[in-house]
Amino acid sequence: MKLIITDLENFKVPVEGDYKIIQPQGNIRNCIGCFGCWTRTPGRCVIHDGYENTGIDMSKCTELIFVSRCYYGSVSPFVKTVQDRAISYIHPDFVMRRGEMHHKRRYSNVIQLSAYYYGETVTDAEKETARKILQANADNYDGRVKNIYFYKSAEELEGIRI
Amino acid sequence: MKTALINGSPKVKSSNSGILLEDLKAYLVETEAVEFGLHTGTAAKEKAEALNQADALVFSFPLYVDGIPGHLLSCLADLEEASSKSKGIRVYGIVNCGFYEGIQAEPALQVLQNWCEKAGYVWGGGVGVGGGGGLAQMPKTKSGHGPREPIEKALKALAEAICSEHVQGDQQAQDHQQIQENQYVSVAFPRFLYKLAAQMGWRQMMKASGGKARDLGRRPEGGED
Repeated sequence: MKLIITDLENFKVPVEGDYKIIQPQGNIRNCIGCFGCWTRTPGRCVIHDGYENTGIDMSKCTELIFVSRCYYGSVSPFVKTVQDRAISYIHPDFVMRRGEMHHKRRYSNVIQLSAYYYGETVTDAEKETARKILQANADNYDGRVKNIYFYKSAEELEGIRI
Repeated sequence: MKTALINGSPKVKSSNSGILLEDLKAYLVETEAVEFGLHTGTAAKEKAEALNQADALVFSFPLYVDGIPGHLLSCLADLEEASSKSKGIRVYGIVNCGFYEGIQAEPALQVLQNWCEKAGYVWGGGVGVGGGGGLAQMPKTKSGHGPREPIEKALKALAEAICSEHVQGDQQAQDHQQIQENQYVSVAFPRFLYKLAAQMGWRQMMKASGGKARDLGRRPEGGED
C-alpha cells in the first residue's frame, strides 16, 4: 500500500495501485511534545482530531509519498505536522546505525520514501536541503529513499503518475 | 541593540529550548534581550511587527522529525509575509536534538537559513545541540565544568557573534551573508550512558501512566507486525 501525505485539498494526481491518502480535512493540531504516543497510548497520538493514526498507517505501507509545496527546503506546515504527529511509527528507545543515534523499530516494514515538491521559486539551496531531509527521514524510519522530484506547480503534477 | 529571543517549542513552560535561551541570555551583554514565544501555528501580526523592530532574532526550538516543528514552520511563513525585507535583521538558530549528535540538526538549521533568504533576513549561524533531551536533568555547574560545558561554550561563542556583529554594523553584516559557521556540539556525557538514561526515562514514564515496560513496543490494533 502507498501512503500519500499531501497538503493539496483537491488532489488530482493519478496514483497507481493501492493507496491511502492523508490530506487537509478540518484543522490539524500540532504535536505538543508530550510523548504520550510512546508512553500513554503506544503507537497512537493522544490528540483525537482525525490525525492520530498516521503511525499505524505507516506500518501498513510499502511506500510513503509526500506531495507538498516546498517551504524553505521542508515539506509544508500541514505535511510536517502530520509527520510530527506520527513518531509513534518508531519505538522511543535508541539504537546506533552507521555510527549515529536513531530510534529502534516498532514494526518490521521497510518504507521507500518519495517526495514530489511543487513551488515556483524553489532555490538550489532549498532542493539540497529537501534531499538531505528525505535521506534523514529514511535513516530515522530505517527505510530507503526512492525518489525526489520538483515541479513548478501543483497542476504540473496532474500530468504524471505516482 | 535589541535581540529577540524566540522560543519555538510547543511547550509554553519548562522546555529545553527555553533553558538554552536562558543560558544564551546570560552571555548577551550590551544588548536588550526581549523574549517571545511561538508555541502555536500562527504568528500574530502584532508579534511579527514587534520582531521586525529587533536587530537580531534568535530562534530556539526542538528538532522534530529531522526538521522544524510544523507549528513553527507555519509561523515562519507568517513572518516571511510580514517581513520588512530591508533592515538587515540578523537571524540565529539553536536546535535542540534528542539524539546525541548535534550534527543531526544540520538540515533544520538549513531550513532556517533558506527562510532568511526568502524573508530578506541575514543568516548569522546556529548551534545544533546533541543530547538536549536531558538538559532539564543536568544540573548547571560552575562555568567550564559539567555535562553542559560544551553547550555553554557554543552559546557563549554565539552570544559573542551576536554582540560583535552589532558593533560591525548592518552594512558589513549584509556583505557577509553568513557571519559564523554553524556549531554542532553534544553534552559532555558518554553516549552509551545517555542512551541508557533515556531508556530508563521512557520506562519510568510508562510506569507512571500505569503501563509496563514491554508496552513501549506495543503494536496497536490495526498496526502490522
